[in-house]
Amino acid sequence: MNTRSIRFRLVMWYAGLLAGVFFLLVVLLYFNLRHFLENDQRASEARRARQITQALLVHVKQTGEAYVASQVKDWFEPEINGRFIRITRADGGVIYESGPPKDGSFNPQEVPALTPSAQAEFSRKLALSGGKTMLVSALNFQSSDHIGYRVEFGELLDPVEAMLNHLFLQLAWGLPIAVLAVAVGGYLLVQRALQPVAQITCSAEQISQHNLSERLPVTRTGDELERLSHSLNRMIGRLDDAFQNSKRFVADASHELRTPLTILRGELEDLAENQRLDPDLRSRLGSLLEEVERLGKIVEQLFALSHLDAGEAQTEWARFDLATLAKTTAEQMSLLAEDKGLHIVCHADRKVPVEGDRSRLKQVVVNLLDNAIKYTPVHGTVQLNVRTINGHALLEVADDGIGIPPDALPHVFERFYRADPSRSGDSGSAGLGLAIVKSICTAHGAEVEVQSTVGGGSRFQVRLPLSRQPDSP
Amino acid sequence: MSNMAMRILLVEDERKVADIIARGLKAERFAVDVAQDGQGGWEMADAYNYDLVILDLMLPGLSGTEILQRIRRKNQEVPILILTARNGMADKIKNFEAGADDYLTKPFAFAELLVRVKALLRRGPVNRSSVLRVGDLEVDRLSQQVRRAGRRIELTAKEYALLEYLATHPDRVFSRTMIIEHVWDQSFEGLTNIVDVYVRHLREKLDDPHPVKLIRTVRGVGYCLTEGGQP
Repeated sequence: MNTRSIRFRLVMWYAGLLAGVFFLLVVLLYFNLRHFLENDQRASEARRARQITQALLVHVKQTGEAYVASQVKDWFEPEINGRFIRITRADGGVIYESGPPKDGSFNPQEVPALTPSAQAEFSRKLALSGGKTMLVSALNFQSSDHIGYRVEFGELLDPVEAMLNHLFLQLAWGLPIAVLAVAVGGYLLVQRALQPVAQITCSAEQISQHNLSERLPVTRTGDELERLSHSLNRMIGRLDDAFQNSKRFVADASHELRTPLTILRGELEDLAENQRLDPDLRSRLGSLLEEVERLGKIVEQLFALSHLDAGEAQTEWARFDLATLAKTTAEQMSLLAEDKGLHIVCHADRKVPVEGDRSRLKQVVVNLLDNAIKYTPVHGTVQLNVRTINGHALLEVADDGIGIPPDALPHVFERFYRADPSRSGDSGSAGLGLAIVKSICTAHGAEVEVQSTVGGGSRFQVRLPLSRQPDSP
Repeated sequence: MSNMAMRILLVEDERKVADIIARGLKAERFAVDVAQDGQGGWEMADAYNYDLVILDLMLPGLSGTEILQRIRRKNQEVPILILTARNGMADKIKNFEAGADDYLTKPFAFAELLVRVKALLRRGPVNRSSVLRVGDLEVDRLSQQVRRAGRRIELTAKEYALLEYLATHPDRVFSRTMIIEHVWDQSFEGLTNIVDVYVRHLREKLDDPHPVKLIRTVRGVGYCLTEGGQP
């Protein structure tokens, strides 16, 4: 689980907050309840003590102390009810003290005698053996003949403790269950709340340079998510503008360059074909025309590159056999190779179905073969292999030519890059051939790689996705 | 065969480009009217029934595409050749849909323009007969056999395609780009030395045994097949 995800963190916060609040509630409840129950018991004990004083001790002068003791015993049956009752005179004489309860829940001997107190009514908590606690309430009474009596009435706090413990246990069990329920519920809720974000992400993934005119769906919720989709849409809009501007710039630049080139070419051709001109002059005109042609070609290639960059290569998308394409191209170029005393060996026996712009991919083969022929000395071999490997189409052009120095290797696909600057005079080549190969490959979702050793030749590999369409009959 | 009866409207705002095309076409004995802006071009196209309209796309006033559509609404017949400085595939499709007959991207060789103009005027290929003749060279288009001075010359398929293309328009200079587009395909653009290699092979078979050389190189322009031979 991703502990840094917003989902995880939100759920943790939910659960943590709930646990905290719940815990506080439990603590408050526990102590308040305890306080309430103890007070209640204290009040009931005091009431009973007062009953003893008001019903019996008031008449002690007439009835005698023994009568009071027997009446208390009869009324309250402390041994049966598990109560502690003690009546003492101010001089310390004990009128009555209840015996040990029948259930043996406590020993009355453990309840210490009270020190004299000025207070009329008070209570105390006593810790007895066996971890028991007794709450004893005491009441001072002055009889009509001015003898001070004290009535003590006590009951164990056990039922209160038991009830509180039971409650505490219930809550202790309930807390984790509640927190777990909140965590699960929160997780689902957060997932639901984040669903629009997932949708926005999914739609945003679909947008590439080819469909910048499209926009993300906006959910009219008036919240952060709507704002997010609006700002993403505005960003896509700005990207779209930038793309359009750059495309327009290339189109304009291309137009501005082509017009003077047309004029130059037209005028020079007109002159060059004039038979009355001095042959030397015509030769120079020819040289100029060659340069004009080269310029035209560079403009053309730059334009093609920018078109590929803009993703406009997919106008003629079709499924075809790469092996056949490679074989026919190799045949068409074989004379070019033979002219240099090289020969092209083509291994492309099995069908390799791919999808793409056929003429563009043919250009990849042409440019790679041309490159190999250019840099392979007399009597060398250029190999062209097409095969299927690991679910991909692999097109390989290998030569045993001069190779590429290691420091130049990472740059061979760059525009206008030349491994050997001395070759820049090579007519018709502007160092754009491999850049075009790279751009076409990128537009087709293909990868192109090169391996080379100086003097040992070079190996260019193009890895294309195979066509997923079933074979047409 | 005279082109005198053929009247061509050229709508091109770049004066120098217009001059070169008009001059070249006039030299081929076409009558050429030049309009330098969109509005003027449309008015002239509207006023007179031309045999062919050569239309630049980027025009002040009315755009070339707009003129194209207006002409098509009025006159379904006249062939229209588009000149453009953009070669976007989308542009191309849009204009073909709007009714353009052909499409030429700047910069172009004048020879290429001329070949296309003639093709559109249904005057080309100039030689429709099954046997093309240039001097003592015979190219039989049916049997695809080539003879020079009566002797059979064996050519590969590509060599034959190249020779036949040159022989359809004797004395016309073909640019390497034209040859590549016609004999090979667009993928070989930028690989113009392939033309040189094939021409050299063709020469070995065609011209080397003979004192008169039929294939002429016009440096910087291209190649042509001519009876006059290489000077």
